[in-house]
Amino acid sequence: MSRASGSAELDSGLFHERPRDLVIRDLVNRSRRRLEALPDAALESLLEDALWHERKRLERKPEDSGHEILDALARGLLRGDRKQRLDAGLALVNSWGDEIHGRFDPRVYRVATRFLPRALTALLSGRRGRLRDWQPLEPSETRIQVRGPLKLVQELSREATLVLAPTHVSNLDSPLVGLVLYLAGLPPFVYGAGLNLFSNKIIGWWMHRLGAYTVDRTKKAAIYKDVLKDYSIRALTTRHHSLFFPGGTRARSGEIERSLKKGLLGTAIVAWQEMLAAGRPDSEVYVVPCTLSMSLVLEAATLIEDFLAESGKQRYIITDDEFAQPRRLAAFANRVLDLDSAVVARFGQPLDVFGNPVDPDPAARKAQALRRRGYVTGRDGKVEWDDQRDHVYTQRLAESLCESFVDNTEVLATHAAAAAAWNCISRQVGSADPFRVVRSPIEKRRIAPDVYRAELGNLLDRCRASANAGRGFVDTLEPDVDSVLATALDRFGRYHRSRVLVRRGSELVVEDPKLCFYYRNRLTWLDRAPAERARSTLGESR
Amino acid sequence: MASTAMKVGILGGGRWGQALARLVMAAGHEPYIGFQGKRPPQILPSTDDPPRVSAACELVFVATSASEVRNAIRLAKPGPTNRVVVAGRGLEPETSTWLTDVVLQESDTLRVGALAGPAPVEEILNGGLCAGVVASRFAEVRQLATRALHSPRYRMYESEDPAGVQLAGAIVPVLATLLGVARSLRGSGVGIHAMVLARGLEEAARLARSMGDDPLTFVGLAGIGDLVASQAVPGHPSFEAGAALARGDRSQGPDKLARAVVRLASARKVELPLIEALVSIYDGLDPLIAVQHLMGRKPTREHG
Repeated sequence: MSRASGSAELDSGLFHERPRDLVIRDLVNRSRRRLEALPDAALESLLEDALWHERKRLERKPEDSGHEILDALARGLLRGDRKQRLDAGLALVNSWGDEIHGRFDPRVYRVATRFLPRALTALLSGRRGRLRDWQPLEPSETRIQVRGPLKLVQELSREATLVLAPTHVSNLDSPLVGLVLYLAGLPPFVYGAGLNLFSNKIIGWWMHRLGAYTVDRTKKAAIYKDVLKDYSIRALTTRHHSLFFPGGTRARSGEIERSLKKGLLGTAIVAWQEMLAAGRPDSEVYVVPCTLSMSLVLEAATLIEDFLAESGKQRYIITDDEFAQPRRLAAFANRVLDLDSAVVARFGQPLDVFGNPVDPDPAARKAQALRRRGYVTGRDGKVEWDDQRDHVYTQRLAESLCESFVDNTEVLATHAAAAAAWNCISRQVGSADPFRVVRSPIEKRRIAPDVYRAELGNLLDRCRASANAGRGFVDTLEPDVDSVLATALDRFGRYHRSRVLVRRGSELVVEDPKLCFYYRNRLTWLDRAPAERARSTLGESR
Repeated sequence: MASTAMKVGILGGGRWGQALARLVMAAGHEPYIGFQGKRPPQILPSTDDPPRVSAACELVFVATSASEVRNAIRLAKPGPTNRVVVAGRGLEPETSTWLTDVVLQESDTLRVGALAGPAPVEEILNGGLCAGVVASRFAEVRQLATRALHSPRYRMYESEDPAGVQLAGAIVPVLATLLGVARSLRGSGVGIHAMVLARGLEEAARLARSMGDDPLTFVGLAGIGDLVASQAVPGHPSFEAGAALARGDRSQGPDKLARAVVRLASARKVELPLIEALVSIYDGLDPLIAVQHLMGRKPTREHG
């Protein structure tokens, strides 16, 4: 989806039908090199792991294909020699590669690049009458606000390969980010979509044909994860801008991501090194953080319920939430997305694969690029491969991203109102334990207006002070407490079946404490000191 | 990693820098000291132009006092190809910043580590046996530092807990000073010595836990190993500073370092009664009254 036609992408090996075989062959070859380097025992153990996980998966989903391949693998492990085992494992890799690569359709893509942005914008702005207008959309026509260093990101998209790393709260994020890319004047991005996203048949159909590659999170085998990473590396090294949600899954609690999955993110540094080793002049890979701030979240009720479920019972993959219910989706689109500041997408300062900010000045950027090679090359200038080193570098990148997510978050009225209400009822319950607060009786959830106004005022002051210090934005917030409260009450009343906060007589009442907790969690960063930037060399975020 | 001799940089030409240089030589490598001020002995290759050390050596140890690490890095300007290992007291006293973070703040280098453990400098210079621990998130930094120093006279151990190792490095002189105070007070004996030692270790472990560090790190060379050395070496500066404090002389010892540790702890809402008492003594409180305050506290659980 883009203003740019994306012809380069259409002509490249990743998307074309005939090179489809090439892509899969490349994936198999990468796995072959990795597996061949293993001693017998390690190879056997890895293949057994794959067999065990796949057998378990097929027990749950017997209708899925792949039984014959697994039988061959089992025979290879039982009676075969090293070559037979290897071949059986690679047959599995081949089938996974075929599934991951998706079903891109250039015709659909061409139509979509003209039609979909307008359709989505119409959906999100309520201007359905203009669907017939095929003129390019202007950002001002949509209610989605796209902010940040857009010119720099556009410039980088022409000279390097980009990885867009957005925060993730909703399954709507994928199409929203697509629209954001279009509005930001950026070319198309390849993206990995969880199989569960295809539970909505309409969206699934589009995603399949618009370049989404498939990520099946029910596949737990280590080899499968490596194939996914190989696919991402191939996409990046063939100059496809890629979109990862580095949190891995939607944030169940509503919080901004505090730790990220390093698997796919780590492919950025590997791809960069592969291009560097090949002497490519266009080897740079930059990571662009993007914070999506939403007034209301389609699946908030399901997500927070899942978060509060007893430890160990949380579901990593949810397939039966509001996203899979067309009516809820339509209600959300009609009642929420047509509002000012319903969604604010803010790009952060682009980062290199080590988490360092990229210099906006082209000359300084070239010098930076030359200098950063020293992090992975030896004295002879050749790339020295070191997975453990790269893992630490990726950890550093992940921490920089988490900081950027907070720095670029937009404090919205619903977040502030929920946070103030949560603080009030926590005090009334006499506990900071969320499990106690969400189970508190209604008497404890009634708040005197003066108490609430003071709390909200205090919280807004803190948000503004933080924004002045470069942490978070308050650009869309109303200037005074009463207006913020009025906006929040209006929005809370628009979509959720039970309200976060409602005015009853002279009191404010937290009707749904779980939802209150969910929206309040968006501002938990206010209570944390900014991370010490350099602590990434010391370990995981402390 | 090749087994050939390598050139190992050392920033700081003082006694500790010279001791490290001797260890590098004992391990079969060539030290290269970057110094300011007084030139180290001729036998040790050195330069008064620190950037040459960064340019010539992949691995660079920083062997200055904790307060001087920042300046040493500014002068030497290590870059992306360097691996920098700080062989100092863990925390920058003025800012409560980890010394490895000081390196990151002041240079382009990313691959950093910390060296700690007992460092009886005179013994090392005279060929005595000893051991140290290098901690880094980067395996290659640990391996390179081990290769640079490990020899029949100096055993190297590796750790993946750089914060824990640096915390231990910062707390040991503080605890050693407290022990000096405890042993030098009128009427004190083995009881108070043992109590301060055990409760000091508990405070260190508590702070380590609050930071997500491995409390076991403190049981190793960087913690107890270094602390034992501070007790066993006659006239150890920290222990002597404690004795001086007990006499009312507040001019010596880890005053700033103790404050840096307390700041670190209060940011994490961790109580450190003993170390806070030391700060109070530096602020003018009579050591005997400090002890009375400590002994008058409510009974509590031993660990937690």
